[in-house]
Amino acid sequence: MADPSHTIHEHDVIVIGAGGAGLRAAIEASASGVSVGLVCKSLLGKAHTVMAEGGVAAAIGNVDDRDGWQVHFADTMRGGQYLNNWVMAEIHAKEAPARVLELEAWGAVFDRTKDGRVLQRNFGGHKYPRLAHVGDSTGLEMIRTLQDHGIHQGIEVYMEHTVTTLLKDGDRVVGAFGYDRERGRFRIYKAAAVVLATGGIGRAYKITSNSWEYTGDGHALAYNAGADLVDMEFIQFHPTGMVWPPSVRGILVTEGVRGEGGRLLNNKGERFMFDDIPDLYKNQVAKDDEEGWRYVLGDKEAHRPPELLTRDHVARCIVREVKEGRGSPHGGVFLDIAWIKEKMKNAPEHIKKKLPSMYEQFKELANVDITTEPMEVGPTTHYVMGGVRVDGLTQMSTVPGLFAAGEVAAGLHGANRLGGNSLSDLLVFGKLAGEHAARWAKEHGQGHIDAEQARDAEREALAPYERDGAENPYGVQSDLQEMMQEKVGIVRNENDMAAALDAIAALKRRADGVGVEGHREYNPGWHTALDLANLLTVSEAVARSALDRRESRGGHFREDCPDKSDEFAKHNTVVRKGPDGSMQLRREAIPPLRDDLKKVIEEQK
Amino acid sequence: MVSPASHNGSNNGSGAPARSRTVRFRIQRCEGPAKPSRWEEFDVPVEAGAGANVISCLQLIAANPVTVDGKRTTPVVWDSGCLEEVCGSCTMVINGRVRQSCSCLIDNDAPNDGDVVTLQPMSKFPVVRDLWVDRARMFDSLRKIKAWVPIDGLHDQGAGPRERPKTQQTRYVHSTCMSCGCCLEACPQYKLEEDPDDWDTAFIGAAAIGQVRLFNKHETGAELAGERLDALMGPGGVTDCGNAQNCVKVCPKEIPLTEAIADMGRAVALHGLKKFFRGK
Repeated sequence: MADPSHTIHEHDVIVIGAGGAGLRAAIEASASGVSVGLVCKSLLGKAHTVMAEGGVAAAIGNVDDRDGWQVHFADTMRGGQYLNNWVMAEIHAKEAPARVLELEAWGAVFDRTKDGRVLQRNFGGHKYPRLAHVGDSTGLEMIRTLQDHGIHQGIEVYMEHTVTTLLKDGDRVVGAFGYDRERGRFRIYKAAAVVLATGGIGRAYKITSNSWEYTGDGHALAYNAGADLVDMEFIQFHPTGMVWPPSVRGILVTEGVRGEGGRLLNNKGERFMFDDIPDLYKNQVAKDDEEGWRYVLGDKEAHRPPELLTRDHVARCIVREVKEGRGSPHGGVFLDIAWIKEKMKNAPEHIKKKLPSMYEQFKELANVDITTEPMEVGPTTHYVMGGVRVDGLTQMSTVPGLFAAGEVAAGLHGANRLGGNSLSDLLVFGKLAGEHAARWAKEHGQGHIDAEQARDAEREALAPYERDGAENPYGVQSDLQEMMQEKVGIVRNENDMAAALDAIAALKRRADGVGVEGHREYNPGWHTALDLANLLTVSEAVARSALDRRESRGGHFREDCPDKSDEFAKHNTVVRKGPDGSMQLRREAIPPLRDDLKKVIEEQK
Repeated sequence: MVSPASHNGSNNGSGAPARSRTVRFRIQRCEGPAKPSRWEEFDVPVEAGAGANVISCLQLIAANPVTVDGKRTTPVVWDSGCLEEVCGSCTMVINGRVRQSCSCLIDNDAPNDGDVVTLQPMSKFPVVRDLWVDRARMFDSLRKIKAWVPIDGLHDQGAGPRERPKTQQTRYVHSTCMSCGCCLEACPQYKLEEDPDDWDTAFIGAAAIGQVRLFNKHETGAELAGERLDALMGPGGVTDCGNAQNCVKVCPKEIPLTEAIADMGRAVALHGLKKFFRGK
């Protein structure tokens, strides 16, 4: 018998997380006729997807009909440096157009071509204009459309609920245990299948573009349930986040600013990105200001300005400028879009029209008018390529009945993600996860909930109230964020990461002593104490995986091994919880690419 | 108040001299639904030019929740999400005006030493705790006006209908609604209704009327246009609008809400006439 103090909510499928992937999964499962519960930490429609700006990548070919799934597939594999799960990369490239058009059919407001079709824009790493978008607020529109569409399908939404543990019956996941944030009452979500769609881990770092919800919950839930995590060393640091004022540090400044002609300058006024262009890109970069500007204007003969090199490279160049004393007053560099007034009339109006959210963001949050002054920017933790290892065809993890989609799942992006591929990821794999979770639920039915597991989960959740409160949860969290930023950040080396692992072990001991005061009704200190365990788990996974990969590739840069290695090109890094509770790492060979896909990549070179 | 010099590439100094001051936060607090509210005051140190906003000050109070009388209290509770005025979660009433707290800069709203910033929860929604309110009625309204395009997700229907850029622009402004609740808080006709049974007859408010316009202007969405207009007829519908025009003044996304109300008002009147002549 279950504990009578635990309210039980029973559904065929439970989806954890209500961003793009979670909503799409819930819609799909619900459409196939099973009962669906959607559990989310914040209010519906406020998830992190809402902050996505640039657009959703899909080879529809509305603007350039040379585009097709083959080109998108090859671009994604190149961006991921061939560590991608190629099954997922193929499905993604083939299905993204249908998923975007479906969103259009559901009423999403996309920017339009003159003849009324979905307009597509250029973005880093995509060969042709591929990003369907709505101004620079594509994420908000996606969430609104999915939420509105989901709202009438009878999906039960548990808003402001947090899941702390997955419940198992033998090998299989049969539900989840959590609490509502408002009252602090414990809940059991009983389900034949569970879909994780909890997003990323950005809050493990001090400077991040991610919302407060991004504490690696899904990564840790899966790991603790025995699932594999893969590629955790690969984290994307976006080169341009706000650095000033402190209250907004880390908030994203879209790549679109550079796409519209924004220049990066150091405190000497030098356009430093021209100083360090990787050999691989020598022939693809503008030779001076003038050619760069022609590219911005759409001249197909001109090459891109150096500000539009890959995100990891631009981020490292900014770190170098700051380190060598050429940074801006608050530890970043300058991003200047105001200068285009030298090149066009009505530049301020043009900037406001092309970058409306950026104009508002700086005006509202920082009192800066980007049409007349430069912005101060620096790298910010943006996205984790690594996550729950899933089967490319079904999105099921290595634990039966447990599925994952979106940022919490790994595979599509390999060592680095192209801009725009995350929103298409949510749609394509959210749908797939919902479809297969529903099918699994129909085939297997409900499992058995073990009341003892739920009681253990309750004891664990309440433990911080039993302690004397010597250690404050916010203090441990902020020390962890500081340490990860410094030692497992953009530029890594063996000594720092070994030190990071020691520091994580010490922080875990401190976390075990964290106490909270007060009652359980909306108690933010308690919530932080519970999130802390997840942050520590994912931080360890990142540090261990990064220590093992002795090369530099994509989002992982080692100053002690700055080059790519052929040996490390052949495997993914996998971590799993061992029988003794410690984290175990192994290298796993990447399955050989299918011949027809090999041919596609050759043709696109 | 923030000196532009601190953002200027030619000035490599630390910008304008930092001016320390103390801002007093007067916060309306409440332990939970149906519990009485009380006021507490906190002094928060602020540096000029450091970009403090209401949320960063609330974080400082949470880290050290001691009132001006030296009394230790619980951290103040509020809701927030994106911190960049995109999600609308952190909406509250600041110095009498409803707005997002993430974009309320202290240098603008409390520039002098000893200035007071008053924080209250929105009054048109039930309080969950302190500054946190329950906006479930906004979702109920979206359901009521059928804020979706009537298509099931069971099979692939291909692309949506083509849309003229001009129509897209009209719809775009309404699509930027983030369900923050500002327009409802400021509206004299929109009332606090704690009992969901009363939601059907109380004024629905500008946000939902704007969404009717968004969906009725969509080619496929318009299949439900009549049903949406039905939802805006009668008690609680668009004719309950008293034309105070507060909604459009407080909307952080500058959505033309009064235009939508006028537009939908005409559509509802026409719809009513048609129904009358058809005799149903």
